[in-house]
Amino acid sequence: MTAKMKIGKIAWTIIKYASLLLMSFIAVVPVVSCVITALKTPEEYAQTNVMEMPQTFYLGNFKEAFVSANMLTAFMNSLIVLVVVLLLSVMFGAMLAYILNRFSFPGRGLVRNLFLFASLLPGIAMQVTTYKIMYNLGLINSIPGYIILLCGTDIISVTIFIQFFENLPNSLDESAIMDGCTYFGVFFKILLPLLKPAIVTVMILKGVGTYNEYYMANLYLQDKSRLVTMATSLYKFTGPLGNQYNLICAGVLITLTPALIVFILCQKQIYAGLAAGSVKG
Amino acid sequence: MKVKKLTALVMAGAMMGTMAMSTMAFAEEAELPTLDTIVLGEDYTDLEATIKVLTHRTDIVDTVFAEYIASFNELYPGITVEYEAVTDYAEDIKIRLTTDDWGDICMIPTNLQKNELADEFISFGEKETLDTMYVMLNNFTYDGQVYGIPSTGNAQGVVYNKKVFEAAGITELPKTPDEFIAALQAIKDNTEAIPLYTNFAAGWTMGAWDAYVGGSATGDPDFMNYGLVHAENPFADNGEQTGPYAVYNVLYEAVAQGLIEDDPTTTDWEGCKGMINNGEIGCMVLGSWAVVQMQEAGPNAADIGYMPFPITVDGAQYAAAGPDYCYGINVNAETDNQIASLLYVKWLTEESGFSYDQGGLPICVGGEYPDVLSAFDGVTLVVDNPAKEGEEDLFGNINTDSEVGLNMDNTHVQMVLEEALQGGKTMEEIAAEWNEAWAEAQADYEVEVAPYEYQPMGAAAEDEAVEETSAAE
Amino acid sequence: MPGTTLGKQKKPFGQWLRTRKVQQWLVIIAFMTIPLILLVTFSYVPFAKMFEFSLYKMKRYDSKNNKFIGLENYLDVFSRDDCFNSLKLAGYYIVASFIQLAMALYFATILCFKVRGGSLFKGLIFFPYLISGIAIGFIFKFFYTRGFVFDTVLSWIGLNPESLPYWLKDTRINNASLAATSVWRYMGQNMVLFLGAMMSVDPTLYEACAIDGANSWAKFRYIMLPSIKSVILLNMILSISGSLSAFEPPYVITGGTFGTSTYFVMMNSLAHEKGKIGLAAAMAVVLMGLIFIVTIAQQVIMKVADEDWREERRNKKLAKARKKAEKEARA
Repeated sequence: MTAKMKIGKIAWTIIKYASLLLMSFIAVVPVVSCVITALKTPEEYAQTNVMEMPQTFYLGNFKEAFVSANMLTAFMNSLIVLVVVLLLSVMFGAMLAYILNRFSFPGRGLVRNLFLFASLLPGIAMQVTTYKIMYNLGLINSIPGYIILLCGTDIISVTIFIQFFENLPNSLDESAIMDGCTYFGVFFKILLPLLKPAIVTVMILKGVGTYNEYYMANLYLQDKSRLVTMATSLYKFTGPLGNQYNLICAGVLITLTPALIVFILCQKQIYAGLAAGSVKG
Repeated sequence: MKVKKLTALVMAGAMMGTMAMSTMAFAEEAELPTLDTIVLGEDYTDLEATIKVLTHRTDIVDTVFAEYIASFNELYPGITVEYEAVTDYAEDIKIRLTTDDWGDICMIPTNLQKNELADEFISFGEKETLDTMYVMLNNFTYDGQVYGIPSTGNAQGVVYNKKVFEAAGITELPKTPDEFIAALQAIKDNTEAIPLYTNFAAGWTMGAWDAYVGGSATGDPDFMNYGLVHAENPFADNGEQTGPYAVYNVLYEAVAQGLIEDDPTTTDWEGCKGMINNGEIGCMVLGSWAVVQMQEAGPNAADIGYMPFPITVDGAQYAAAGPDYCYGINVNAETDNQIASLLYVKWLTEESGFSYDQGGLPICVGGEYPDVLSAFDGVTLVVDNPAKEGEEDLFGNINTDSEVGLNMDNTHVQMVLEEALQGGKTMEEIAAEWNEAWAEAQADYEVEVAPYEYQPMGAAAEDEAVEETSAAE
Repeated sequence: MPGTTLGKQKKPFGQWLRTRKVQQWLVIIAFMTIPLILLVTFSYVPFAKMFEFSLYKMKRYDSKNNKFIGLENYLDVFSRDDCFNSLKLAGYYIVASFIQLAMALYFATILCFKVRGGSLFKGLIFFPYLISGIAIGFIFKFFYTRGFVFDTVLSWIGLNPESLPYWLKDTRINNASLAATSVWRYMGQNMVLFLGAMMSVDPTLYEACAIDGANSWAKFRYIMLPSIKSVILLNMILSISGSLSAFEPPYVITGGTFGTSTYFVMMNSLAHEKGKIGLAAAMAVVLMGLIFIVTIAQQVIMKVADEDWREERRNKKLAKARKKAEKEARA
């Protein structure tokens, strides 16, 4: 009996680690192939199998990709967009969720449903009509315009904040009000700090989405010499550079690096944040 | 109650949107010069303006065009020219044109109807006058006014590697579909090269096949704008290895018989240039604009040749010729910008040498033909005649409604390859589908339909073409 | 809307209440205006415009040739076979997302217990979620190219590269290849979600379990699974609406060729390449209707499944009754 259990336990351990190893391998292989390819010289790339290790550490592809796709500008733009979008979506989302959750006023249900329903709208199909609106507002070819658009089409953060508010007891604000605090005060001084886990969740979901957004950035930030972002810098490689995979791979890896660094530094918060968003469905 | 409020809100929003949209500024109706009245280097030399040019040529925007700007500025130092190269040009330009200040000069997209031209672009001048200066102005002419000047012209043929053909034992260039398939087979049997490289994955390169269904396949300059519109079942097999069916059937057979690249889904457009230069590819079906790019992609420029599409009509070979993308100038731009744009377009067309350098047909009357087309001796170049009056938009409408999409999208050509590769529908079945959709659209526009006989360009026209070619040499 | 209410509130109540009400309205207006304007401008106005498009025969935006044709485009959507045929491809993505959920559940369970190198595994598996769609397009075109990464890896384990299918060309397999890329991308994120829900279980429960001598399976079956039931259910239903509108993998990898054209890819091509904007807009509206139905179904299922909700409803009823009683008392 115990021997059987022991065997079972060992077998389970083997299966467990084997499956973990296999899955990690699957997750990593496409990216590793990129690293291998990016490190090869063009000649080497042409002559060897794609999975064959490079002979030397050739960094020329990275340099060329970085320069030709204008990635320094791209990084700065992406950074600005990311910071502002995160700041605004957190503020707008939390503010809206606050009033939707804490006050009852005529039209509350309507506003709430408007937001929930908006998540069903087919964004890509509406790009043309959105384009005209952006144009009429003079927001094309401008980073602020792009930022406004990203905040304007932001539904997730509101939903997450609403969920979170439902778990914050009402008594908190009420006692503060009794103490003479204004509603603005309650929100900024008492509730906002308590929302930290939800803020992290929103920042992760919105952050990943914003950093990687390419469809709208390509459409609205047309002057690519000035307004390129990390994601759209990769478009450079669909054009004249065609399928020169060692350059493309280098470009992909460069755009990946900032995300990877943030991920490694904030692993714990990221997991916790994502989990916080999931607890209540 | 809730629903009502919601609709009210949505409606209000929509109205706000429309109101904003209808306040678009009217362009000032000022007297503009026309291309024929401008004398380059003398008129408007102190004009100051900054113009933006949208181009699809991402490959040469930093090199060739930069040089052009420098030379142009020697004549017009006050005019600043900025290029913007758009990667996904064909799609992006459609969206951008919905607004007024997309720039000053663009390559006119192909989805415009003729009666819309004046809403977007200024006239370059009267067709009759400009005809004495430039060729191939039909595509964007409406009501006697020209709205688009070709950037360059193309003759439609097949790019091939002479060494590969030689090694395969092909001594004479194929002139019919059967000879062509036999030649591809010979390449497959006798060399290591890919006989026909389709460039399937790039998409637009497949769309290029449409350029051959008119002049090249029929020799008939009226086929595209009249024949196709009025013909009964224009895509059906006519049994003579001519016409649209023959063109697509070449592709179908080449694919079905395994004479193309191994995996079309991962073809590599930039890479193919070097491959044909090095003799890894036998041939590719692309317009004459491609030749220079193939020559420059490697050390073996001399190996790249260009031949007419392998169809013979009544014993003669023809090649469709027509304008590449045409320049259009924004009707909503400031007058100074429009004048500056006119100057630049005139300079590009007459002085830049763009057309010649890119291996294209000359746009200026009496211009020089590039060497590339030497294999076209004895081949009649067919430029499509314009549509009959009152039928200007008929071809476009039927083409769109039927979703066949000749010269418009790539999916129908890609479908030919897909079906051939998978042993799905036969070419007859594909053609029958197109015919059915086409007939339906013809009926919707109440077009009288009858069997259509190709009218290849006669002996007189042939002489003229030969004269033109020899004059160039 | 707020103005009228304000006016009403001014009369009968005491000063204290009034300032409070006014304050409330100030907060509501201050906090709601901007997000609401943004929402209407960038979601509802475009949607209304798109609905308008769907009633037109439209080759080009803003053209004087566009013709009002009523509901003809909608009839077209339902009568053409290709529109709904392309929805069949959603099946691949639905299956893939269920596999993804199962895998995510499996790995979350493993990682929930103590595992050597657990955080490393977790990081590696999660990491693909951070890559942008366009980069994924490049990576997987490269990955699936004949004789490239995937073929090479398979040849390491002894498969003959010659006998392998063409991953993007072979219509028997290519949709699965594409759907697999989205499993690759999102599985780790799902896993982290599940893991988070599992971790949120009160640890004393596990201790109680251990005292009872329950094994790992029992722990999973009776403690973890119930705790994440609603998350799993939610994700399953979300994956259906997500699959109906699958767009990115075929768009960036195959461009919809060789039978990989999903509903959205087809719609995109009709609008931008085929010059049938009205029809494409009608397709979008129809799909939205479908997704709306799925979402309603989701709400119903979730509510039935969620016992908290029943309780909540009971409480609400009670509260309502109480309010009513209060009102009556006041009157």
